[in-house]
Amino acid sequence: MKERYGFTGKIARIDLGSKSVSTIQPPEEVYRKFLGGWAMGMYFLFKEGLADPKKEALGPENMLQLMVGPVTGIAPNARTAIVTKSPYNFNCVTLCGGQGGSNLKFAGWDGIQIVGKADRPVYLAIIDDEIEIRDAEQYWGMGAEDAEMALRKQVLAPLEISGSTLSKSDMTRRWAKLRPPREQGIGAKRLSSAWVIGPAGENRVWFANMVTEGARAHGRYGSGAVAGSKNLKGIVVRGTKGQKFADKKKFMQVTSKIKKKESKSHFWRSYGTAGISAKESNVLGGYPIRNWQWESWADPKTVKTLSGPFMDRLSFVRKQSCPGCALHCLYPTEVTSKKEFMDKTITDMPDWEAMGMVGGNVGYLETKDMDPGDPYPGDYKDMAENAAKSQYTTRMFDNKGMDFIEGGALLGLLMELRQRDLIGAGDLDGIDISWGDVQSVEAIMEKITQGKGIGKILGKGTYETARHFSSKKGNQEIMYYSMTGKRYAQPAHGTRSNRDRNALEYVTVVRPCEHTGGGSGSFMKDPIDFEGAINGQNSTAAINSMVYCMFAGGFWGDEGNVEVLKAVTGWEDFSKQELLQVGERAYALSRLFNLHTQNIKDPKKEWDSPKMFPARWFEEPLPTGPFKGRAAFDGDISKLFDQALPTYWKKRGWSEDKGIPSRKKLKELGISDIAEEIAAKLRS
Amino acid sequence: MTDFKQERVSELKQEYAKGAISRRDFIRMLTALGVSVSAVGMFSDSALAGEQDKASEPRENYTIVFDPTKCTGCLSCAVACADKFMQEIAPEQAKDSINLEFSRIRPMRFQFVDFVNICQYCELIKWAEGTSQHPCQAVCPTGAIRTVEQGEGKEGYTGMGYMTVDREKCLGIQNCGRCLEVCEEQFGSGISFDPIEGKAQVCTRCGGDPECVKACPEEGALKFMPTLVNGRYYANQPEEAAELLYKKMYNKNRGL
Repeated sequence: MKERYGFTGKIARIDLGSKSVSTIQPPEEVYRKFLGGWAMGMYFLFKEGLADPKKEALGPENMLQLMVGPVTGIAPNARTAIVTKSPYNFNCVTLCGGQGGSNLKFAGWDGIQIVGKADRPVYLAIIDDEIEIRDAEQYWGMGAEDAEMALRKQVLAPLEISGSTLSKSDMTRRWAKLRPPREQGIGAKRLSSAWVIGPAGENRVWFANMVTEGARAHGRYGSGAVAGSKNLKGIVVRGTKGQKFADKKKFMQVTSKIKKKESKSHFWRSYGTAGISAKESNVLGGYPIRNWQWESWADPKTVKTLSGPFMDRLSFVRKQSCPGCALHCLYPTEVTSKKEFMDKTITDMPDWEAMGMVGGNVGYLETKDMDPGDPYPGDYKDMAENAAKSQYTTRMFDNKGMDFIEGGALLGLLMELRQRDLIGAGDLDGIDISWGDVQSVEAIMEKITQGKGIGKILGKGTYETARHFSSKKGNQEIMYYSMTGKRYAQPAHGTRSNRDRNALEYVTVVRPCEHTGGGSGSFMKDPIDFEGAINGQNSTAAINSMVYCMFAGGFWGDEGNVEVLKAVTGWEDFSKQELLQVGERAYALSRLFNLHTQNIKDPKKEWDSPKMFPARWFEEPLPTGPFKGRAAFDGDISKLFDQALPTYWKKRGWSEDKGIPSRKKLKELGISDIAEEIAAKLRS
Repeated sequence: MTDFKQERVSELKQEYAKGAISRRDFIRMLTALGVSVSAVGMFSDSALAGEQDKASEPRENYTIVFDPTKCTGCLSCAVACADKFMQEIAPEQAKDSINLEFSRIRPMRFQFVDFVNICQYCELIKWAEGTSQHPCQAVCPTGAIRTVEQGEGKEGYTGMGYMTVDREKCLGIQNCGRCLEVCEEQFGSGISFDPIEGKAQVCTRCGGDPECVKACPEEGALKFMPTLVNGRYYANQPEEAAELLYKKMYNKNRGL
């Protein structure tokens, strides 16, 4: 094989059904076109034929891919990407930080693909080139935290493990007498990384995820359910090979510059994403409050409960970073609460999405009997108690292995339905859920995790739950409260003020309703800067294919991306344009995948249609805050769906009527061979 | 800067370069003048600053200490260390790659705790254990682990008495491993083995000017400072240390 730089040139393919492991060696051309992560994952989904609607996400034919990219490894901000078919029946592309990505690269793999279904619980142990499928019966049922710690102990490199060679005669006599050797050999190093699923993944909750390092998750779209459906408890990896660079000197120069820039970031280094919450409510008007009935508290003090500075003084213990990162956006936290069951919970901050979705969205921030439109009557102690609720819920989601964005939206839905008396406690197996009630949240979550009773329905997510109650009660109004875009929860960025996110962004992103699509600023311009928005999206998709953290994207910059890529891979003529094209490929493939796997004939009616998005965005003006009275697109739905959306598609080189990439576009991107057949079918 | 100040600074610079005043005095005088040290641009010139240090400051009893509340586990130290020692041990491979297995300092992540695994320079106690050697040194069958006396040793090392492994003599993990076994059993887990020949690696403190400390992006997380006690009091097995740290930092027993 030709010497490869940056990449290792190998992808492992593991069939859990036949217990076989093989190696794929994609040609360099494929690497250059797709890099890794998102784009390459989509490429393999097409190759595997998973766009076929008949292949089920939770069936053995689905393929779970854990991918890294050319820069994952020594370079700063390493991540991993999971690419598979989501239980919601669209693409699941979900990224996560931690040391695992680097470890996988050091083990000599650009990714691993898992197909088939094991007949009993297993985990994968990857030590460099050796991949073993091991029995995981005793870990099944464990929470994510315990399972990860237990599994990591089992995987050591040959360099760290050895039988005993030490005897008394090696030691001085007095020493040997004092403390004779125990003859246990070597094996105390712990350098492996692990991704695991919690009980939610085992029970195939649709929004279960894969968790690593206790609090980092491949959060969205149900990666954990796919792993669970394969009886795969976890993946443990230990790599001892290092990474090769085409031009090491330049690589070191460029990356040290990036690190230096990062180390000057006051924002990230102070509170991470927790730093934005006060602004979200008081300035931007985009905070999810009580299932999006409000997006800003009338009293600016209320939001301080979940703000960086307050939580820092209250509970942050330290900070943690991914490899080479000086932004360290994760802050491990010790919860203190008067309520014994929450006291001394150890979790992470919560970060912004958790502050929104399992904070404001479930009514944790208000004191009893208070309305988000009221003045805040409490003091610091109330704030501390309320922050604890959010932190406790974050920990529950992490340890059970579930997405708190979808989960938070689901809880918000149930609470609003109860608020409006559209369902009763009897509909939830007797659990009387109400705004801010953390104990009923815990009870509901236990139902979901175990898949018992109503938990079976709730485990299919917000949209399906709304549909269930809507048909059970014969009340169409219930669908109005499902705050989902394309059947998946809206993340904690509001659309109505048009200062945080523009509604069009949620409509156009190809990972349904994602908040990390990029180009937000351009979407919010008036008139919309389509070019900038599309570039932003392509650039983010490219970053997710290089597989480093998009939070660090600003510190790398377009220049940095290309420079690092060149230094790592040795592709001297690689240009910024080429990099954006990788993002474009990811977008085109994801779009085609989503439409085809759902058998969609007319996207404008079935997929990119107003009925797939919350009517609340358009019909219910903001009741409070700096943008009081605003609605998305000023309530003009047709302006979004009939004017802005087709323009966006056109600018992308997609057809204006259906948003299908044209034959020319696919050819230009060099993906006709895998995508044209499907695209042609969708065009007709 | 005013003319007067500029004149005085350039005077001081010359004196410092000649060695007429110490680095410490130089900085103190600059501070008294109200001039920031970085503005003078003196210490970006590492050759000058480094040489002065080497001669003037013995580093006996200095050790590498990490602060678990400040360390973020970013691995920057390990990358710097690996790069340095790869160039020594495997220069051919070092030209185009970095492999963390060459690093003598390894941050290990235990979920919410990061523990930095590094040799603590434990010493046995003569009256109790019969020798004052380092334990790994004492059990090495070939005498491969040795201490280089202060002021001696490799070029570029500042003269700190440091530990090193004679790679010619070391039998390697395949045949021996006594050094790490005794370390893990009774002290920490401070020795590693390189991935090419499997020979033992131990932190040399870079002879008194550790690369890892310079590479650390978090102020105060990794320090090179004098300690008054035997390194064995800091030595811990990673997993046990992580549990201790967890207990201490989060005031809770994890019970794993």
